[in-house]
Amino acid sequence: MGTPVHKFDVVIVGAGLAGCAAAKTAQEAGLKTVVLTKLHPLRSHSGAAQGGINAALSESDTASHEFDTVKGSDYLGDQDAIELMTREAPQTIRWLEHMGAVFSRNDDGTIAQRPFGGQSHPRACYAKDRTGLTCLQTIYEQAHRAGVQFLDEWYVGDLLYDKSSDQAYGVVAYSLKETEFAIFNAKAVMFATGGYARAFGINSNAHANTGDGLSILARHGLPLEDMEFVQFHPTGLAGSGILISEAARGEGGHLYNSENERFMEKYAPSKMELAPRDVVSRAIEKEILEGRGVGPNKDSVWLDLTHLPEEIIETRLPELRDLAITFLGRDMAKERILIRATAHYSMGGIPTDIDGRVRSGAERKVSGLYAAGECACVSIHGANRLGANSLLEAIFFGRRAGEAIVQDIGQLELREAIGTESDRLSGEVSALLRNNGPDTVHAIRTDLQQSMTRNAGVFRTRASLLEQKAYLATLRDRFSQMRVGDKSKLYNTDLQEALELGHMLDFSAFIVEGALAREESRGAHYREDFPERNDERFLQHTFGTMDPSGKIALEYTPVTLGRHTPQARTY
Amino acid sequence: MYEKREMTFRVFRFNAQSDYLPAYKRYDLTVSKEEVMLDVLNRIKWEQDPTLSYRRSCRHGICGSCGIKVNGRAIVACKENVWQLAELYGEEMVIEPQDTRLAYKDLIIDKSRFWESYRAVTPWLEGPVEEKPQKEHLIEPNYAEQIDEADHCIQCGSCFYSCPAAAVNEAYLGPAALALAYRFSTDVRDKSHANRLRAVNEPGSGIWDCVKCVECSETCPKGVEPLSKIFALHNQTFEAGVHKRNVATRHAVVFKRSIEKHGPLDEAENVRYSEGSLGALRHMREAFAMLRRGKLPLPGRVHKSHNHSEVKTLIQSASKNKF
Ligand SMILES: Cc1cc2nc3c(=O)[nH]c(=O)nc-3n(C[C@H](O)[C@H](O)[C@H](O)COP(=O)(O)OP(=O)(O)OC[C@H]3O[C@@H](n4cnc5c(N)ncnc54)[C@H](O)[C@@H]3O)c2cc1C
Ligand code: SF4
Ligand code: SF4
Ligand code: FES
Repeated sequence: MGTPVHKFDVVIVGAGLAGCAAAKTAQEAGLKTVVLTKLHPLRSHSGAAQGGINAALSESDTASHEFDTVKGSDYLGDQDAIELMTREAPQTIRWLEHMGAVFSRNDDGTIAQRPFGGQSHPRACYAKDRTGLTCLQTIYEQAHRAGVQFLDEWYVGDLLYDKSSDQAYGVVAYSLKETEFAIFNAKAVMFATGGYARAFGINSNAHANTGDGLSILARHGLPLEDMEFVQFHPTGLAGSGILISEAARGEGGHLYNSENERFMEKYAPSKMELAPRDVVSRAIEKEILEGRGVGPNKDSVWLDLTHLPEEIIETRLPELRDLAITFLGRDMAKERILIRATAHYSMGGIPTDIDGRVRSGAERKVSGLYAAGECACVSIHGANRLGANSLLEAIFFGRRAGEAIVQDIGQLELREAIGTESDRLSGEVSALLRNNGPDTVHAIRTDLQQSMTRNAGVFRTRASLLEQKAYLATLRDRFSQMRVGDKSKLYNTDLQEALELGHMLDFSAFIVEGALAREESRGAHYREDFPERNDERFLQHTFGTMDPSGKIALEYTPVTLGRHTPQARTY
Repeated sequence: MYEKREMTFRVFRFNAQSDYLPAYKRYDLTVSKEEVMLDVLNRIKWEQDPTLSYRRSCRHGICGSCGIKVNGRAIVACKENVWQLAELYGEEMVIEPQDTRLAYKDLIIDKSRFWESYRAVTPWLEGPVEEKPQKEHLIEPNYAEQIDEADHCIQCGSCFYSCPAAAVNEAYLGPAALALAYRFSTDVRDKSHANRLRAVNEPGSGIWDCVKCVECSETCPKGVEPLSKIFALHNQTFEAGVHKRNVATRHAVVFKRSIEKHGPLDEAENVRYSEGSLGALRHMREAFAMLRRGKLPLPGRVHKSHNHSEVKTLIQSASKNKF
C-alpha cells in the first residue's frame, strides 16, 4: 500500500507568525492552502515573545529605524530588505491592529511604544509583556477565518525536491498521533519552522525550536546562510536560560557584578544597559569569566529593578515578575534577580530573496520553494538582530512570501508525487526504531548542547571550534546507534525527539564550519583570536552546503549595501 | 540553591492502542527547589522511562501545551513549582491527564471537544480588515482595558477540564470559549456583538448553563477569570436585549433575589426555581460535588451576610436591567 498523496496549491510548514501570515494571504487569493505543524498553531513559539514589535509609527523615525537595523546587523544585513521592511513596518503593525491585536495604548488612544536596546527612539509597540501572544492569536484567528486548513501535530520530515530541475513540489510528514505517513503534494511549498537556538545548552527557546526545516533542506544539498550567527540574549534566568525580556532593561533595569559595579559603564558608557544584545552578553560573560560573577556557582550577574516603582513592574512587566518567582523564587519588585546570557535567536537560516523565494545558490532560486520567519535568512538581521525586529520580520516577510506565491502560482506546475517518495522519511524512522545501541536521545542531546555552549557560544576560538567539529563527528557516530526507548506508534514523543536531534546535529555542523572560517568578529559572532571586524575579507554572507557524507563546503556572496556605508559599530 | 528533596510520583500510564486498562506507575526522584512539574516529567522521560508521553513546548507557561492534573487539581506543568505543590500535597503526588477518560497515551488526551468549543464562538475579530491601513483605531486605555485579561488565555484547558457543568453537559461551551466570546464582544472594534451575544445566550450551550462554582477562575494560570467574563456576558445580553425568558434568565432573576434576600447564594433554591423541582434532579451530581467542597449550603440553611443591608443597596444601584 502506497503512502497517501494529498494535493494542494500551497503547503506551508509551520504555523507561527510567518506561516499563518503567508497562509492567510494565499487562501484569500483563492489558493487551496494547508498548514502542517508539529504543535497546535497557538502553541507556536511566536506566542512566547514578550517585549515588543518595532515600527516607526511617527514618519520622522523611519530613517533611523532603518539605520539602527543596519548598524545593529554590523553591516551584514542586506540594505534593500531592511529599507523595505522598516518603511512598511507601520502599516504592518496597523494591519495587525485592524485584525484585532490588543496593543497597549497611549492616553490619546494611539498604540504605545517603548524603548528597546540598540534603538535611537522608543519604537517597540507592545501588549504588556505578551506581545507575541496577541500577534500570534490575531494572525491565526484571521487565517482560520479565511478558511486555511490547519493540520496540527503533523511532523514534517522531508522535502520533495528534484535537483535536476531545481523544483520543490511537496513535503513528507507523519501524524504524531498514529505515526501515519502522508505526502503533501503542492505547486508551492513554504517553510516557516522557526529558530534553532535549542542546539545550545543554555537557551531561551521552546522545546520545539529544533531547526528541523533547515536540515530538511540542507539534506537535499540546498544551502544555508550565515548559520554562525546566533544571538545570545543578555538576560536569561540563571539555570534555565528562560528569557527575561529586554523590556526589563527598557523599563530601566540595571546590571551589577559581585563588586556591586554597574559594569556596563566599562563596555558601553553611553548606552549602558541598552546597548545591543551582543555587547551586553559579552560584557556579562566577561564579568563571569573574570571572576566577578554572583550566585552559588558565580556564573551569573544581578539584574536590578528594585529602584522602579512596584506599580511599573506590575503594569508593564507582570509576566516577567511571575517568571522570576516561578523559576528562581525571587520577586523582582523586591530583590535583584540572577541572570546570564542565553542562546536566543537564529540570524542565519534558509537563504531567500526579499519575496521569500528560496535560493539554491548565490544567483539561483528554487522553483516553488519559499521560506520566511526565523528559519529564513533574508538577511534583515545580518550578524545581530535588534530586539523587536523579528516579530516584524516574521509577519512582514511571511505575508510577502504569501504574496509571492500568489504571484508565481500561475507559472508553477504541479509535479505529481508518487507514494514511494515517503520512503526516505519512513526509512529514517524505522532505522531509529530498530537501533539498540547504548546511548539515549537525552544523553546525546545534552552532550551536543553543552559542547555547543562551551565551544561555539558567546566566545569562540579556532581551537574551540576545531574541538567542536571533531566532537560533532563522534556525536554523529553515537547517534547512528542510538536507542529510541519507545517502540510504540501512538504519540511516540521519544521518536520525535530523536528525529529532532538528528536535525540539530546536522545544522550544528553548519554553525561550527561557518564560525571556524569566519576569522573576524562581527555582531554576535565573536572570535577571541580575531577580535576585530574585517570588512575586506568578510563583509560577505556565508553559504554552506552539505554533501551526502555530511561534509560542508562554504562559499561567500556579497552583502547588498545601500546608503549606509560600514562604520565602526560603537555604542 | 543546593537543597534537594526525595519525592515520589505516581503517574497515569496508558496506551489506547495496546492497553485495556490504565496503570499508575511509581517514579522516585530527588527534586531541587527551582524545579517545576515539567522538569519532573522531563526527568522521568529522559532519565528513567523514555516511553512516558506528554505535550510540552515553551516551558514557561505561555504556549498552553502542558496542562495536566496533580492530585486532581488542574495545573500547567511548567508553571508550577514542585516544592510549592509539596506544601499542599506532601512528598507523594499523583500525576494524571486533564481527563483520564480521554487519554490516548499517558498524559496526552483527545482535546477535540475543547477545540470544537473554541471554534464555536467565532474566534476572530469580525469586520473589514484594511490591508494597508495608514492609521490604527484610536482606543483609549480604559476601553482597551475592558477586555480585562480575556486575551491572555493560552488555551491550556485547565478550566475546561475542571468545570463541573462541562463534565455533565456535552453541549456546554465551557469557560475558556465563553471567556473568548467575551474577549470579542467587549472589543470596540468588533462588528458582530449582537450575533455573539445571541450565540452565547443559547440554553444548553451558553452562559446560563454555568453553575457558578468558581472552579475555572480558581484554576486559571493566567488570571483570565472566566467566571467574571460569564457574569459580564449575562449583563451584556440583558443590555443588548437579546436574552429570552427561559430557564437561564429565570436563573438570573432568582440569583438576584437570593442575594437580595440572604447575601450569599441559595444555590439549591436557584436551581429549583429556574428549572422546576424535576429539572433540579438533573443537577444532583454537581450538587453533591459542590456540597463536598463546601460550596453549597444545605437547602434552607443559607446564612445571611453580615452586611446584608449593604448588599441590598448595592444590588439596587447595580441593577441596570429590569428583570
Ligand atoms: C522567549 C522569546 C522571546 C522573544 N521576544 C521577542 C520580542 O519581544 N520581539 C521580537 O520581535 N521577537 C522576539 N522573539 C523572537 C520571535 O518570537 C521569533 O523570531 C518569531 O516569533 C519566529 O516566528 P516564526 O513564525 O518564524 O516561527 P515560530 O513561531 O517558532 O513557529 C514555528 C512553527 O513551525 C512548526 N514546526 C517546526 N518544525 C516543524 C516540523 N518539523 N514539522 C511541522 N511543523 C514544524 C512549529 O510547530 C511552529 O508552528 C522572542 C523569542 C523568544 C524565544
Ligand atoms: S464557574 Fe461556571 S464555567 Fe466556571 S467552572 Fe464553574 S460551572 Fe464551569
Ligand atoms: S481561561 Fe485560563 S485556564 Fe482556561 S484555557 Fe484559558 S488560560 Fe487556561
Ligand atoms: S510547556 Fe508551554 S505552557 Fe507549559
